[in-house]
Amino acid sequence: MNLLPLLLIVALLVAIRFATVRWLPLNRLAWLAIWWVAIYAGLATGIDPPLPSSIIVLFMAIVSLALVAYLSADSDELTSAIKAVNTFIVEPRFRIGLIIVAVAVPALTAFKVYSDLSSPPQPPSSGRTIHPPPPASINVSGQTVNLATATNPYRELEHSDQAAFAEHVANGRRIYFENCFYCHGDNMQGAGMFAHGYDPIPANFNDPTTIAMLQESYLFWRIAKGAPGLPSESTPWSSAMPAWEEFLTDEEMWDVIIFLYEFTGYEPRAQGMPH
Amino acid sequence: MTRLVLILAYLVAASPGFGQDLGTEEQRQRGKEIYDAKCSHCHGMAGDAVSVATAYLRPAPRDFTSGQYKFRTTGSGELPTTEDIKRSIREGMPYTSMPPWEGILSESEIEALAYYLKTFSNDFAGPYGNPEVIPVPSAPPYREDNLARGREVFEANQCADCHGENGRGNGPSALDLEDEWGFPIRPADMTKRWTFRASATREDIYRTFTTGLNGTPMPSYEQSIDEEDRWALVDYVWSLSEDLPDYGTMVTAIGRATPIDLSAGAALFDGAPASYLPIVGQLIEPGRSFYPGVNGITVQAVYTQDEIAFHLSWHDMTAEMSGSNHPSMPVPRFEPEYPDSSEVGEFSDAVALMVPADASEGQEKPYFMFGDAKRAMSIWFADLATDTAAVLIGRGSASVLPADDLIESTATYEDGAWSAILKGRRQLESGLHFAEATFTPVTFSVWDGLNAEHGNRRGIAAWYHVYLEPMETESAALPMAKWALIVLLIELAVIGLVRWRHHRLAA
Repeated sequence: MNLLPLLLIVALLVAIRFATVRWLPLNRLAWLAIWWVAIYAGLATGIDPPLPSSIIVLFMAIVSLALVAYLSADSDELTSAIKAVNTFIVEPRFRIGLIIVAVAVPALTAFKVYSDLSSPPQPPSSGRTIHPPPPASINVSGQTVNLATATNPYRELEHSDQAAFAEHVANGRRIYFENCFYCHGDNMQGAGMFAHGYDPIPANFNDPTTIAMLQESYLFWRIAKGAPGLPSESTPWSSAMPAWEEFLTDEEMWDVIIFLYEFTGYEPRAQGMPH
Repeated sequence: MTRLVLILAYLVAASPGFGQDLGTEEQRQRGKEIYDAKCSHCHGMAGDAVSVATAYLRPAPRDFTSGQYKFRTTGSGELPTTEDIKRSIREGMPYTSMPPWEGILSESEIEALAYYLKTFSNDFAGPYGNPEVIPVPSAPPYREDNLARGREVFEANQCADCHGENGRGNGPSALDLEDEWGFPIRPADMTKRWTFRASATREDIYRTFTTGLNGTPMPSYEQSIDEEDRWALVDYVWSLSEDLPDYGTMVTAIGRATPIDLSAGAALFDGAPASYLPIVGQLIEPGRSFYPGVNGITVQAVYTQDEIAFHLSWHDMTAEMSGSNHPSMPVPRFEPEYPDSSEVGEFSDAVALMVPADASEGQEKPYFMFGDAKRAMSIWFADLATDTAAVLIGRGSASVLPADDLIESTATYEDGAWSAILKGRRQLESGLHFAEATFTPVTFSVWDGLNAEHGNRRGIAAWYHVYLEPMETESAALPMAKWALIVLLIELAVIGLVRWRHHRLAA
C-alpha cells in the first residue's frame, strides 16, 4: 500500500464533493466518471508492488460494470443521465464540445495504437500458481504417503518428549543451512544470496500465506517432489525447487519442516481442516 | 582519598579511547537470545564461525573471537565501534550470505546483538576496546577531471597488483591472496561496486582506503595517500562501475544484412544491445556449486537470413586453458568435506548457451538444468581450452549426448574478461527455429576451471528470452489510421442515431 497517493485521492474526492455541492452541482454521470478516474488512479498508484496492467484492466472492467449497475438501479437517475447525454449530442450550444469529443476520442485511440506498437516487446510472462493442488498421495522411498491424512511423525514429541523434539529441531536446522538457505535465506524470507538469479523467486516462509496456512504433509510433498513433481495443470512451472527425496531421508525432510515452523514461529495447519 | 580515586577512575572511563562500551548485562543477555536464534547457524554457537554452514560459504562467516571486522570506522588493525557492528548487522554484506537485518530486528535488538558479539573477544574489554573513530568527511562532488589523478594514485600504489589493470579483480597477485584464516580470498571487482562488502557510497570507498579491511589483504592507505589523493582515487574507482547491476530480462538480437564472419570478433556486435544477467551457483542437482567463480554474464546477439550469433562475456580472475571440461563430466553425488581439493589445471573454463531443442509448444520449456525426459535442450557448449564448440542434446543431467547441429566459436581472454562468440544456424536440426519477431527461451552456464567447476558443478542462469528484432519494422501509421477511423465511425453512428431520434420525436 502506498498510503500517500491513496490519501491524496480520498482528499481530492472530498474536496470535489464539498466544492460541487456549494458552487457547481454535478449530475450523477459526472460523479460516476470522477469515481471511475479515482479508482483507476488508486489501483495504478496506491498498491505496492504495482499491479500488472492486465489486472488493472480487469478490475476497471468490473468497476465500469458496477458503476453502470449503480446508475441503472434508480430509473429516474438513469433517465436523467440519458437525457443529459442526449442534450449534449443534440443541442447546438454544445456543438463545439461535441466536435472536440468527436475528434479527441479517435485521436486518443490512434495514440494508444502508436504507443502499443512502438513500446519494446515484452517477453512472455509465466503465471505463478501460489498453492498448486497436491495429488491425493505420493510415493516416497517406496512408501505411499497419503497427503490428506499424513502427519509429521515427530510432531507429537513436541509435547511428549521435549528433549527428543529439540534434537529433531537441531537436525532440521542442519538440513536447512546445508541445503535451503542459499535461496530461501537466513531469515527464511526467500532472499538468500542466490535468490536474485531465479525466476520465480524462492518462497518466503515468513509470509503468513505460505507455510502458516499449509499442512505439514503439503510441505512434505513440495520438498520431496520439488519442481519436477508439480502437477501438469497450469504449466509452465519455472520453479527451480529440487526434488529433495533424492538427497534427503524422510526423517530429514520431516525435521526440516519442524525447523521451518520453529524458526518462523508459525503453527502448521492441523490435519483434517478444510484446505 | 577514596573519593579522588573514584573521580579519577570515572574520568579515565569516560575519556575516549579508554572507556569500554560493552552494554548492560540485560542487553547482552537479550543479544544472546537473538544470536542463538538467528546468527549461530552460520557464525557458530561460540562465535567462532564453526557451524554446519561454514563449509559451504565463501566468504566464510565472520569469526567473532578474532575481533577482526572488515567494516570499521577505526584505524587499521583496531576493533570496530558498537556503531560499526550495528551497521554491519543492519546493512549486511552484499553478495554474501550475510543479509541485511534492518526491518527484521529492531534497532534495540541490533544494539543488544552488537554488545553480545563483543563478548566473543576479550579485546573489547581491554585497554583498546573502544578505539577512536577516524572521521570521514562528506564526499566532495564527483569530478571527471579528477580521474587522471585518480588513475595515477591507482598506479603509484600498485592497486592493479590485486585488483587488475582495469579493476576487474584479476591482478597478478589475485590468485595467491588469503585471508587471516588461510582461506583463499578474491579481490573486489571494482567494475561491480554493488558487490562491495563494506557498502559502496563514495564515503564508504574513501573509508575503506583509510581504514583498510581487517582480516583481509586490503591494507589501510591512511598514511601513504593524502586526503586529496584518496578522493581522487575514490573518483577513479567510482568511474569504473554503475551503482546497480541493472539485470536484463531478455536479449534483443539485431538483424544484419552481411554474413557473420567470426574473425571480426566483438566488433560484429557493435550496436546490438547488451543484457547483463545474473549467474548463481547450481544448487539443484549433485555437483552443487556453493560459490561460483562468475556472478554475471553479458549477452549480445545478431542474426542474418539463416544464422544467429551470440557474444558472451564475463569477468574471470584467471583463464584456465589447460585441462578440459564438458557438461557430462561426472561430479560427486555428495559434497566432499573440503570442497577446494581439486588441482588447478584439471578443468578448463567453459561456457554454454542453451535453448529448447524443439519448437516449443505454448510456453512450456525444458527443465532449465540440462533439459528433461519430455523436453530436450540444445546445448551450445564451448570448452575454452580448445577453442572449439559443439552442440549437445540434453535430456537431463544424466543424458547429455552429441547432436547433429554444427556451430562455430571463437574466444579470447583479456585483462580479466572472457569474450566468447558462438554462431549457429537459425534452423536447428533438432527442430527449433529462431524466428523473427518471436521470443525464444534461452539460458546460460559458465564454468570457472579455477573453482573446479565441471560437469554439473557450474554457474547457471534462469530462463531468459532472445527476441529477434525484425529487420524491417512496419510503420505504425496504417493501424493508427484504421483504429481511429473505426472509432470515428462508431461515434458518428451514435450521434447520428441520437439526432435522428430527436428530430423524429420533435416532428
